[in-house]
Amino acid sequence: MYKSFHGVGKIVAIVSIIIALIIGLIAGYFVSLSLAPPSLSTVTVAQATVTTTSVKTITVTSTVGVAPERIVIGVTDKVSDIDPANAYDFYTWEVLTNIMGGLMRYTPGTTELEPGLAISYTVSPDGKEYTFKLRPNLYFADGKKVTAHDVVRSIKRVMKINGDPAWLVTDFVEDVVALDDYTVKFILIEPVSYFPALVATPPYFPVHPAYKPEEIDSDQTAGGVGPYKIVKWVRDVELVLEANPYWWEGAPKTKQIVVRFYKDATSLRLALEAGEIDVAWRTLRPTDIQDLKGKAGIKVIEVPGAFIRYIIFNTRIPPFDNELVRKALAAAINRKAICDKIFLGTVEPLYSMIPKGMWSHKESFLEKYGEYNVELAKTLLRQAGYSETNKLKIELWYTPTHYGDTEVDVAMLIKEAWEGTGIIEVELKSAEWTTYLDYTRKGLLGASLYGWYPDYIDPDDYTSPWVNTSWTGYAYSNPRLMDILREARTKPTIEERTRLYEQAQDIWAEDAAIVPLFQGKLTIATKEGIEGVILDPVMLFRYWLIYKT
Amino acid sequence: MTSLKVFIIARAIALIPTILILVTLVFFIMRVLPGDPVIAIVGMKAPMERVVELKKELGLIDENGNEIPLIVQYVNYLMKLVQGDLGRSLIWGKRPVVVEIMEHLPATIELAIAGFLVSLLIGMTLGTIGAGIGGKVNSAVRVYSAVAYALFIPWIGMMLQLVFSVGLKIFPVGGRIGVGLEPPTYTGLYILDSLISGKIDSFISSLKHITLPAVTLGLVISGVFSRVTRVSVEEILKQDFVVAARARGLPEYRIMLHVLKNSFIPILTMMGLQLALLMTGAVLTETTFSWPGMGTFLLERIQYRDYTTVQGTVIFFAIIVSVMNLIVDVCYAYIDPRIRY
Amino acid sequence: MYTFRPILRRMVLKMPLTTIGIVGLSMILFVVFMAVFADFLAPYDPTKSVGLSLQPPSPEHLFGTNKIGQDMWSRTVYGARTMLIVVALSTILSMIIGVPLGLISGYVGGLLDRISTTIMDSIYAFPSLILAIAIAAALGPGIINTAISIAVVYIPTYFRMVRAQTLNVKNQLYVEAAVAIGAKPSSILSRYIFPNVISVVTAVFTLSVADIVLTEAALSFFGLSVPAPTPDWGFDLRAGQPYLVSGYWWLVTFPGLMIIMLAVGFTFLGESVSEYLGLREVGI
Repeated sequence: MYKSFHGVGKIVAIVSIIIALIIGLIAGYFVSLSLAPPSLSTVTVAQATVTTTSVKTITVTSTVGVAPERIVIGVTDKVSDIDPANAYDFYTWEVLTNIMGGLMRYTPGTTELEPGLAISYTVSPDGKEYTFKLRPNLYFADGKKVTAHDVVRSIKRVMKINGDPAWLVTDFVEDVVALDDYTVKFILIEPVSYFPALVATPPYFPVHPAYKPEEIDSDQTAGGVGPYKIVKWVRDVELVLEANPYWWEGAPKTKQIVVRFYKDATSLRLALEAGEIDVAWRTLRPTDIQDLKGKAGIKVIEVPGAFIRYIIFNTRIPPFDNELVRKALAAAINRKAICDKIFLGTVEPLYSMIPKGMWSHKESFLEKYGEYNVELAKTLLRQAGYSETNKLKIELWYTPTHYGDTEVDVAMLIKEAWEGTGIIEVELKSAEWTTYLDYTRKGLLGASLYGWYPDYIDPDDYTSPWVNTSWTGYAYSNPRLMDILREARTKPTIEERTRLYEQAQDIWAEDAAIVPLFQGKLTIATKEGIEGVILDPVMLFRYWLIYKT
Repeated sequence: MTSLKVFIIARAIALIPTILILVTLVFFIMRVLPGDPVIAIVGMKAPMERVVELKKELGLIDENGNEIPLIVQYVNYLMKLVQGDLGRSLIWGKRPVVVEIMEHLPATIELAIAGFLVSLLIGMTLGTIGAGIGGKVNSAVRVYSAVAYALFIPWIGMMLQLVFSVGLKIFPVGGRIGVGLEPPTYTGLYILDSLISGKIDSFISSLKHITLPAVTLGLVISGVFSRVTRVSVEEILKQDFVVAARARGLPEYRIMLHVLKNSFIPILTMMGLQLALLMTGAVLTETTFSWPGMGTFLLERIQYRDYTTVQGTVIFFAIIVSVMNLIVDVCYAYIDPRIRY
Repeated sequence: MYTFRPILRRMVLKMPLTTIGIVGLSMILFVVFMAVFADFLAPYDPTKSVGLSLQPPSPEHLFGTNKIGQDMWSRTVYGARTMLIVVALSTILSMIIGVPLGLISGYVGGLLDRISTTIMDSIYAFPSLILAIAIAAALGPGIINTAISIAVVYIPTYFRMVRAQTLNVKNQLYVEAAVAIGAKPSSILSRYIFPNVISVVTAVFTLSVADIVLTEAALSFFGLSVPAPTPDWGFDLRAGQPYLVSGYWWLVTFPGLMIIMLAVGFTFLGESVSEYLGLREVGI
């Protein structure tokens, strides 16, 4: 019956030809586009020129002649609150560092502190009073003069709002007063030798009066006293920074910085390859980094970072209450395999909680247990009464997304390393970040994987937070260690403190309750011709130092 | 027309229990979540007082620190919902959930429309070809319908990425538009907005970005349309008026136009039924191509246990699907009065 | 159970399998074979790193290795087991709840029927995957939890079809006659109505299994299904995606093909079964 229906075939043929034509036209158009990339790049350049000419009102005393360029930086991070009273994540701190500044700051490329908005400071003999002298020529990005009262107002605001990072102020500072327009005095609860390092953190940054005085101001773009000011802010899409003409150090080398927010590392990498961005910053995947290293026109810069990963054994839960078990597990960790297999050498093994590159770092775990010392582990386990027939059965917890999608691999390799002794049986358990933290706080997890980004660059931030603290569920406490750490905190000289921290690290390794795994290197990939990328263990990328050649 | 009005009102009223049931379901599912959402917000280094403070803020405990019963929380939530308030996000600026949803909705709508058009194009063409030619071709189209439906979106998406993005470098791997090319917002749909504002480079960029996701989504849904088209064209070809028309010597293409016109009602019916499939498909497509729509948004917030946002987004999906179903029903009733029972 | 046997026998024995049906069935059997004989087919432990990382397919590692050196062939084979267990569990769960509820609701009628219909219709109209995601996220990872979250979504499918069929049969003369002579509701349900429902259940089953397979794959693709290092196709697909641009094609190709093969197999089978049972293709 259908066969007699010739017309159908004809119509079908016409329809399909039309569709094929349309598809062909579209495809041809795109192919021609992809064959002629110059036309697209001219578009971008043209735009760049337009945006820079529109900034002509700014009077600059530039240090490097004319730098009409803008630099586009891509990240996969998120910005939480552009408010130092509540921001407490790595990337937001970086943004804050570029649009604001503290009384003290780190000298780029080092962990040394230098005066920032302050010219100098003095400490009272009892170590409880710090007096900072401000620079006379400080202005907010809109030209408003900055005085000591702004510093006091901002810090009091942080204390009042009591947001997530507020403890960096409230745990140490009893009061802050302005002695005159250019002098700020902090009165501390007890002497803290690393107080200048605390003053370099965002909660101490003076902010513009436009910030709501008593509540968190998440999308406030007024900023503080920094090299850049925000001119455009679209959450999760784009952040545009422009040089602050009033910055005390003179205008930064690049007038405009654009930060693009990508959903995943793959898009970030491809954006760099396609030339959409000049700099690919946090966080590229290890395999992508390896690929990019071989590409022409792309520079890969590696700098040791100061974020560390470690395992917590809760000493209140059997069998981890047994020191022999903890020591055996610490000895049977295959750190090198984790670093090479999963991270392709972008991270390095860590044998102390205090990372490599920081003063007082001592590889106590390596001295005591060696690297993947299966024999030692077996001996210790036998001493504890375990054997091939009576295996040690434990659970290892990890959280699947918070530390990146490689976390499950880390857990699997540790499981394998432990089971390699033949005396241990490991079950992997996972929980999403919230649940994970909750369980940890309640002291339910025997062995769990954690990571740490520093708040301030001082060995104290890599030791004290784990000893007898509630967030770990009091997993680890040692009265002698606590005494040493308390003493180290108040001693004024680095020599004395180093001696104490070395002792602390030895005790730490002996107890083997919190076991370091590896420390992260940071990797940044840029186009050829981007200079001034200075990274250091503080890990915050300073946009004001980069420029195009 | 009065009976149509009555029909619309009756249907709209019937919508209320549906939405209420889904809201209830989602609300209680979210409360089963293990772990303390509050701790995730304040982070691991925060002191306990901050946790308590935030719980108060979220309406989980009252001024004296006693827990508010779940049922009271539920009623409070409903009261706010009626006013169009879905609460505030727990992370990143703690913004109203409604605002966040509205930021991500246009991307999903754009993708859904594009995918839908692609699927209609593929589906109707193949369906007509199958029914028209018959025989082996018809069977092939039938097999195609079955296979297309069972294709796993992320996999198809990845294969397209492998060929067209990684290999041929014609289309971008993901995202919605190139750097700095966002057109000014009129509708939120980049393709339309860039046309309205006359930014040709934005238009090209958004078109390039949407191609692979739309083809992926369209391919999978096209199975359903090719099937419906094939079956209904087949049916209609058997009907008397076709035979009669041909006997009168009407040109064949005009006959075919009649046939297609008549087969449009079943296709329209199918379009309504495919809304849920379209949403499901959009979620998968979005995550594969990091398309910044509702799907990626929902899954991202699930990872962060931002439960007010997850709850709000799922409820929003429920409402939108219910309302769309209502609109589709009303359309049928308008086209075919017999439906107004 | 008198009326029961001929229907079953007719369905199983006399079903004329079309070409499509045979192709579908053999695809399914292939996967089932993999799952059953996984211990013999897989040369390595799927949860252990047994080779160098990211090796392309070779005689030692048929499907290559992933980033931590697990054998992808072994993971693919054992993945079949995970998938089929979840599919079986969730199907049984949704049937156990959906079928009796549909029977009772359709037979008893009244307020109960209206309430349960409204609830089921609401769930049915909702995009299934989004609801499954919400439930799976709430329950946490695990085979049972995944099965539950999928089952919840498919209960309404069984419920609706069974209820409709029950309503249909309830008004048949012979059922009315049975009621007239005083048969107990329980015996009417089991002896007169249930047998008539079986064919509908079979059709719904064959047509929904493909959906269940895809839903499971999607959930594990989102990382909401089984915990690592359990071999699972969707999980492997997700894990391999970042490596695609670097050219490690084997990480995503094989798990994806398996998911599609199983889903296509069930769709084909469903197609041929529903055609045989006289349910129009468009109907469901």
